Amino acid sequence: MSFTFNPINEEKIKKLWGEYPKKESLTLPMLWMAQYQEGWITPEAIRTIAARLELSPSHLFGIATFYTMFRLSAVGTYHIELCQTLSCALCGKDALIEHLGKKWGIRPGETTEDGRFTLSLVECLGGCGGAPMLSLNETYHENVTPESLDALLEGLS
Amino acid sequence: MNNVTITVNAQTLSAPEGSILLQVLLDNGVSVPHFCYHEALGVDGNCRMCMVEIEGQKRPQIACNTRVKEGMSIRTLSDSIMAVKRSILELELINHPVDCPICDQAGECSLQNYYMEVGLYESRIDRADKVRKAKKVDLGSHVILDQERCVLCARCTRFTENIIGTGDLVIANRGNHACVTTFEPQGLKADGYAMNVVDLCPVGALTSGDFRFHQRVWFLKSDPSLCHGCARGCSIFIDHYPQKYGDDLIYRYRPRVEREVNGFFICDEGRLSYKNHTGDATLTTPRYSGTAITLSEALELYHQKLAASGSGVVALASPSLSCENLTALRDYCLQYAIPLFGVERGSFDETFGDDFLRLNDRAANRSALPLLGISEDESEMNAALCAASLVLNFDNQTPVSVDQIHFCVHPIDTRELQIPIAPYTEQSGSIINAFGKVQKFASTIRRRHPVPPLHELLSTIKGLA
Repeated sequence: MSFTFNPINEEKIKKLWGEYPKKESLTLPMLWMAQYQEGWITPEAIRTIAARLELSPSHLFGIATFYTMFRLSAVGTYHIELCQTLSCALCGKDALIEHLGKKWGIRPGETTEDGRFTLSLVECLGGCGGAPMLSLNETYHENVTPESLDALLEGLS
Repeated sequence: MNNVTITVNAQTLSAPEGSILLQVLLDNGVSVPHFCYHEALGVDGNCRMCMVEIEGQKRPQIACNTRVKEGMSIRTLSDSIMAVKRSILELELINHPVDCPICDQAGECSLQNYYMEVGLYESRIDRADKVRKAKKVDLGSHVILDQERCVLCARCTRFTENIIGTGDLVIANRGNHACVTTFEPQGLKADGYAMNVVDLCPVGALTSGDFRFHQRVWFLKSDPSLCHGCARGCSIFIDHYPQKYGDDLIYRYRPRVEREVNGFFICDEGRLSYKNHTGDATLTTPRYSGTAITLSEALELYHQKLAASGSGVVALASPSLSCENLTALRDYCLQYAIPLFGVERGSFDETFGDDFLRLNDRAANRSALPLLGISEDESEMNAALCAASLVLNFDNQTPVSVDQIHFCVHPIDTRELQIPIAPYTEQSGSIINAFGKVQKFASTIRRRHPVPPLHELLSTIKGLA
């Protein structure tokens, strides 16, 4: 499986290329582009970016594994990132995990069998005022209860 | 750089201003535990193990990232700094599996030495609470990784990144889950220098797939020698086991520091070339028509054949023979008016050399040939070979179509007469590398029935004639 950046990303890379004194500085932007384009960072994407930036693929792999927001395996169509840090932990994230476990039979880090939903636990997303909160495909939903979560998921195609 | 005076544990030392304090301490025999600092790799400062007390500084400092200044006063043995070192070691060892009895590094392990030096504490971590990681990862190129034993000093990753430049190794993940790994499975190649990471690793995390579980290091005897794999002549240690009732067995080669030649490293091919010189790999008895014969029978045959060939005899010398052997051979050939050539076809390997240590010239002592007046004229040699009726072949790999007598290190698949000569590991001598540096090596490996080196054999032959 080969990897190429789409024209929009190529345009972005072209713009950024001259903005840093070192090519290496484009590592994180290019990893982000690859993740948004493919849904996750494929091994082929790592090889491609490494070749473009004249770095070793291992070096890129080290960076991609260091930052937990980079995904090194595919996720479902809908990615639920549930906050597990203090406020959300105190205000009921466990009940939400349990609810989804009963509903779909998955634990955090797993994807439903139909490939539609992935549940991940993440550290503080800065939405403590509305704890417990989650991010559904990068949209924040606050003061989530099992009932409101069901309603939210009902509305998805 | 100006030399300045510093005080270490009330002892006065002189050191160049601005040099690395840790290196100065180590050079002067002051023991300072350290993991990440290595002279070849430079300062990294990630392990925090090399703490020392510097007078006038509030807190202990890492000696690797401290530069020497006039009048510095250092303490490495006070109770307070020992307590600091002990707690750092405890942190380094927090997830260590303590499986020394089955660890190949045991006996040459920094962790063991430092624990005895500054540790000696009771562990506060239950074995069951330690973070478990992979115990046997084949990184490729005969390097096996045990992630649990790793202290994450990053010596190996800095070697592939900064010295070799391939960046094969990397520390992936973070915190408790951080581990050394490669991106591709078995992706450690390091351009043929990969096994140096085994020597660099201060603990038992990286071990040699070739050596591991073959011998405990405290049974091994280390002797200095020179690699004969190419014209650089890298300095090595031959680690061998002196069997009580048998021949010495070589278990491994390790690089020996020689700044002018190979620095701190050797190539993997040179490192594994020990296999050609141990056990049954070498010829130990003369052979003729496919059967073993005694040396006196062999020498009798030699003289018969030599007499029968009259003036049609040509001698070929290997350009890897030591200066002493070449000198004896030259004198022998001069005495009997035998034309001698030091050309060896196939001894230049255009695919072998690189810009680090390996050289295309695979002969260890070619530089000595012109100095000894041994001909390197290939066309002259070809002409002589065409006219020859008998070739005396002194370990030379050039293909020859006329009848030969072989004086060889390794057994050859032939019915012709083969007389064994000692490999470089079993004799003393000197070789001159491609850059003109004369280097001596000394006999290290003993056999119960020693094979004579070529110069000894030649003096025996002369005595018989």
